[in-house]
Amino acid sequence: MAPRAFRRTNPITLLLGFVIFLCFVIFLFSPSHPTTSPVLSKSATSVKSKIGRGQITHYQLNNVTTTADPEGNRERVLLLTPLARFYPEYWNNLLKLSYPHELIELGFIVPKTREGNAALAKLEAAVKKVQHGPKKNRFHGVTIMRQDFDTPTPQNEKDRHALAAQKLRRATMARARNSLLFTTIGTETSWVLWLDSDIVETPPTLIQDLARHDKAVIVPNCYQRYQNNGKPEIRPYDFNSWHDSPRALEMASKMGKDDVIFEGYKEMATYRALMAYERVDGGDPHSETPLEGVGGTALMVKAEVHRDGAMFPPFAFYNLIETEGFAKMARRLGYQPYGLPNYLVYHYNE
Amino acid sequence: MPRHSHAHSNGHAYSPSQNTFSISPHRFQPRTRPALRWRRQLIVKIAAIAFFAGVVLLLIFPSFRDLLLPTLGLGFILTDDPTLSTVRHYDLNNYLGTARGWERGERILFCVPLRDAEAHLPMFFAHMRNFTYPHHLIDLAFLVSDSKDQTLPKLKEYLTDLQNDPDDRMPFGDISLIEKDFGQKVKQDVENRHGFAAQAPRRKTMAQARNWLLSASLRPHHSWVYWRDADVETAPPTILEDLMRHNKDVIVPNVWRPLPDWLGGEQPYDLNSWQESETALALADTLDEDAVIVEGYAEYATWRPHLAYLRDPYGDPDVEMEIDGVGGVSILAKARVFRSGVHFPAFSFEKHAETEGFGKMAKRMHFSVVGLPHYTIWHLYEPSADDLKHMERMEEERKMKEAAEKAEKEKAAKLANNFENQNEQWQKDKEAVAAAAKEQETKKDKILVGGEAGPHAHAGEGEAAGAKKSHENGIVDTAGNEVKKE
Repeated sequence: MAPRAFRRTNPITLLLGFVIFLCFVIFLFSPSHPTTSPVLSKSATSVKSKIGRGQITHYQLNNVTTTADPEGNRERVLLLTPLARFYPEYWNNLLKLSYPHELIELGFIVPKTREGNAALAKLEAAVKKVQHGPKKNRFHGVTIMRQDFDTPTPQNEKDRHALAAQKLRRATMARARNSLLFTTIGTETSWVLWLDSDIVETPPTLIQDLARHDKAVIVPNCYQRYQNNGKPEIRPYDFNSWHDSPRALEMASKMGKDDVIFEGYKEMATYRALMAYERVDGGDPHSETPLEGVGGTALMVKAEVHRDGAMFPPFAFYNLIETEGFAKMARRLGYQPYGLPNYLVYHYNE
Repeated sequence: MPRHSHAHSNGHAYSPSQNTFSISPHRFQPRTRPALRWRRQLIVKIAAIAFFAGVVLLLIFPSFRDLLLPTLGLGFILTDDPTLSTVRHYDLNNYLGTARGWERGERILFCVPLRDAEAHLPMFFAHMRNFTYPHHLIDLAFLVSDSKDQTLPKLKEYLTDLQNDPDDRMPFGDISLIEKDFGQKVKQDVENRHGFAAQAPRRKTMAQARNWLLSASLRPHHSWVYWRDADVETAPPTILEDLMRHNKDVIVPNVWRPLPDWLGGEQPYDLNSWQESETALALADTLDEDAVIVEGYAEYATWRPHLAYLRDPYGDPDVEMEIDGVGGVSILAKARVFRSGVHFPAFSFEKHAETEGFGKMAKRMHFSVVGLPHYTIWHLYEPSADDLKHMERMEEERKMKEAAEKAEKEKAAKLANNFENQNEQWQKDKEAVAAAAKEQETKKDKILVGGEAGPHAHAGEGEAAGAKKSHENGIVDTAGNEVKKE
């Protein structure tokens, strides 16, 4: 290297110095963005708001349809999951759904717990893999949220079903569902499919099958696979889909405003007719039954029901809470929920 | 070598005419490296350094990517990344809403339900321009439903103007115009709108509209939601900050409306902000499931303390009052209230619907619901049919009065013209009167003297009266004494 190339008076040296100086100046005066959180900085919206002026977008909600043929009408489905744990079986089942993925939007809400952190990490890895993968497998969009309130008790099977803890647990669950719902339901959403993170097996045509009935609220029967002396069998799991009974109504009328009736507890015999027990072996999977309460493990709702305001009450609404309260609220708004006793989805077996 | 035929070995240009004398010696002067070659190397080095610096800069400041890459034609790098556009991460803890949101860059969702509101738009946009909260942090959402006038095209026009304003502080964040018809069951003019029978179904449709607007436009990154009616006439431009400062979950100002003088000048407008009363709760128990209690009608006497009636024009605007029902003219709420599921019931929730039901539901979920009795905004005054009739009558009366006055004047003028000018006679009379007045003056002086004595006399009279009274007392006394003596 020739020494004269780096002589002080060399114009090129001067130019270099100037470039470095320029960088320094830019570093000093570039506006810092304390407002954008590290989480948000990844999102497209913050990028847009930083650069230009906001866009004016005109949405025609009159043209958003919810019909029995969602695929033919290119109807957008919002698939929402409150994620407590991440099961690979759940994710694989989700990927197998035959409904066009570009018409499916995913939404997840994850509690702020250690368990939630673990689930989030697994979920993010899975989502990244799919969204970078082949185009036809990519979903239209994925929103992942952290909950802004505490999840009370650790969610192990025994604690989770203790009657005393139920109200608080279900109320938290309801808030999680609402937070997820009201921030992700958009102008193009036609259907909302609630699918719990522990639903590990559904028919791949789940969305088309449920939409086919063209009901405002429709719920399949949730069962669980287990081994009975080495023999694979199935048993009912979700007892929140039911027909009301005079006994339960009488109980409710005697209860205080803030008390809640729960299904499936000896202490609280309601004598409601449960959809879980209405399954007939070899029955028509498309037979319908009107319901008064619905479970949330798998639940298909027309977007307009939620838009009208039907949400998951985190308080005692007619002595009902969460998904059961939701069914009541939908009915108050003039929508009748239905169930499919012979159409099964399967819950994870712990 | 051809080279030597063109130039000298020391680099001097070869000139075909060797006439000029040159002082430089034509001898061999060796160079370590040809100039061109070392220059080229340096250029390559500089380019490498610049490239390296650019890459480092992009790594340090991700924001440069957005500015730099599209200008270099490398925009595809941004858009091709599928995770950037389709996967979004939010931590809702960052969007809880705090008392000084404008300093922390908290985004507000500004919701405006509109129906046949074309006439109010100019006023509304004047307000929009005046907001002091940083505009780029406000996302606007409009729901236009069942409108028969030019609300939507006009709205678009105004918004385009606003977004293209040369002033960089003017344009707002993202703007959604949502069109959705619900099939209006009740006509929206003032008379119908406020009739008692029309209230329940009307408010249920309103609630539906609000819910559709909110659910379609609320995003995870919103910290606050502000509801504002288009027909607010006067409101402080700092209203967002003023309400936010209280750091409450749901907060409303007092809403009044100005009135013509003959109606008293001003009047409470929004009666939907109230505190629950025992009477109303008892009344609610007697009603059937679908009934909706509406305020301000004789049919339902609730005896609730209304925010509107508690206003003191000189009161401290920061005074807070716990309320149970809220009015919808101007509501600031934390987004987490809506995220938790609180909405505007389009059914009878605890015997209330829409904004009142919203207040009730927020309370039910243990959120704080507060009104500011002395912080007032003013709703537009639209004269009702009765008022219009009254105003017509007043106008007629005024015209009649004016006509009568005019006639009177004309008559007087006519009279004056028709009769002779009496000025001369009046002059004489005046002098006579003046003379008489002078005489009177001298007389008055005398009277004044008497007048001076007058008060004394008067005072004396008073004293005399007093004396007389005491004397009378005395008589009584003496009489009493006499009686005693006897």
